[in-house]
Amino acid sequence: MRDVYIIGTGIHPWTGFSEKVFADFAAVAVDGALKDANIEWKKIQAIMAGIFIYGGNAGHLSGQYLESIFGETGIPVVNVYNACATGSASIRMAYNSIAAGETDTALAFGADVSPKGFLTAKSDNAVQDRDVIRWKMGGLPNPIYWALECRKRMAKYGTTEEDLALVKVLMSEYGSKNPHARFKKTYSLEEVLKSAYVCDPLRLYEICPVSTGAAAVIVTADKDLISKADKAVKINATTMGSAIYGDPTIRISALSCPAVAEAPMLSESYSASQQAYKKSGIGPEDIDVLELPDNSSWHYLVYLETCGFCKEGEADKMLRDGMTKIGGKLPVNPSGGFSSHGEALSAQALWQVIECANQLRGRCGERQVQGAKVAMAQTYGLMGNSGTTIMTI
Amino acid sequence: MDKMANKVARIPNLVDWSTGEVRLMSAKCNSCGTYFFPKEHYQHRPGCTREGVEDVLLAKKGKLASYTVQYYPCPAPFKTEQKITPYGIGLVEFEDEKIQVTGIITNTDLKTLKLGMEMETTILEMYTNEEKQQVVTWAFQAV
Ligand SMILES: [Zn+2]
Repeated sequence: MRDVYIIGTGIHPWTGFSEKVFADFAAVAVDGALKDANIEWKKIQAIMAGIFIYGGNAGHLSGQYLESIFGETGIPVVNVYNACATGSASIRMAYNSIAAGETDTALAFGADVSPKGFLTAKSDNAVQDRDVIRWKMGGLPNPIYWALECRKRMAKYGTTEEDLALVKVLMSEYGSKNPHARFKKTYSLEEVLKSAYVCDPLRLYEICPVSTGAAAVIVTADKDLISKADKAVKINATTMGSAIYGDPTIRISALSCPAVAEAPMLSESYSASQQAYKKSGIGPEDIDVLELPDNSSWHYLVYLETCGFCKEGEADKMLRDGMTKIGGKLPVNPSGGFSSHGEALSAQALWQVIECANQLRGRCGERQVQGAKVAMAQTYGLMGNSGTTIMTI
Repeated sequence: MDKMANKVARIPNLVDWSTGEVRLMSAKCNSCGTYFFPKEHYQHRPGCTREGVEDVLLAKKGKLASYTVQYYPCPAPFKTEQKITPYGIGLVEFEDEKIQVTGIITNTDLKTLKLGMEMETTILEMYTNEEKQQVVTWAFQAV
């Protein structure tokens, strides 16, 4: 297997609903990545596209659509959909294709245009579509799942409403310094604690909305391109994991969960991160900067435990002690996280990888983690699927 | 059970009242012992032969393992003619079956919700359909 490097990244800043076609957002991100890598379009030998699905069937193949904008060159183009971990799947395929020697240089991208309101059921068929019952019968928008877990956590480990609000305070401070973020206002603890409950104990500012955005990453094993790049970032491992039987988490779209835990919470992310640690020989203690999926304040806390950065029930203390701040022992989400971005499904995992790469390349200005050499991007997929990428410089 | 006449579940095979009691429709795998809800949403233990899956009804009563109060109306395709918002959602644990199930909380003062309290399965009337039937979903209420 060959070493694989990130040489170029591009982002279309996260934004709200748009009438513009998703591929136009993608093209902005891809242009940025080509320019950053200092290479021509024709150097791209494969495209791994995070597929964008809006309102049912896609009506297009995302990768081929993007390719036609830049010029069709006959290269393999694969489209992949793994819900919120779609970007993880695309970069993993690009990595594997290059590491195996099939191609030298590949593009992974994802672009997503959010719906105007909520993400809800895409079909009317309760037999074929597992998402229908929870909407028609359950009254279960996504944040309710997180609130149910959050209340369990508060009872079990003593997580407080102040802890949940503190996550938003930190994320908003960092998001305000990130030009790619959608939400740039900073919040005080009092302001967060005064915001309305959406589903208690979670408040409006403690959950993330849906967004529009695009992200592109160019990876290569071509020595010329690596030496030409402005600080190439090595990918030490990029993995995907699925859930494990007996995971007690109530998963989005599910109507039940096991009452007796036989696996870790969010076991899909446990699986992905453990694989990444094993493949890279890098452990949680080695990570200088971490991007985790803070879909809600609950996620911020539980992910530190699921991915082995502390023991179960100890994440609150890490937060309260300032260990997760920029300048702390483990800076978490210097990007401002999903809290400052919102979810752009097929793009968000790549955006996390890009924030990590930017940190390693020292490009993050006011939110820079000084001297960061090892970074980890952790995704939260839907329906038991997740991805982890560990990078070094 | 006369009061259950002229009622229909919005989606079938989830909630049953034919025995005179409202119960959730589950399935049990007799090979690995796992209960499923909905009954077709299988989650077998790895290595299970998947033989002997039979339809069963969950116990009527369970314990509240978690809950939340939703302060915004649930978007479509959720549909109800009742003013239920803010509404409670419970995660109710059926101890013998080793499964926790979500459901809207009804007929219960939301301020009295407490982890561990006893809940029972019931139905919630959502709207009247064109055949003048009451369309219902499953729900939980304090015992
Ligand atoms: Zn089984």
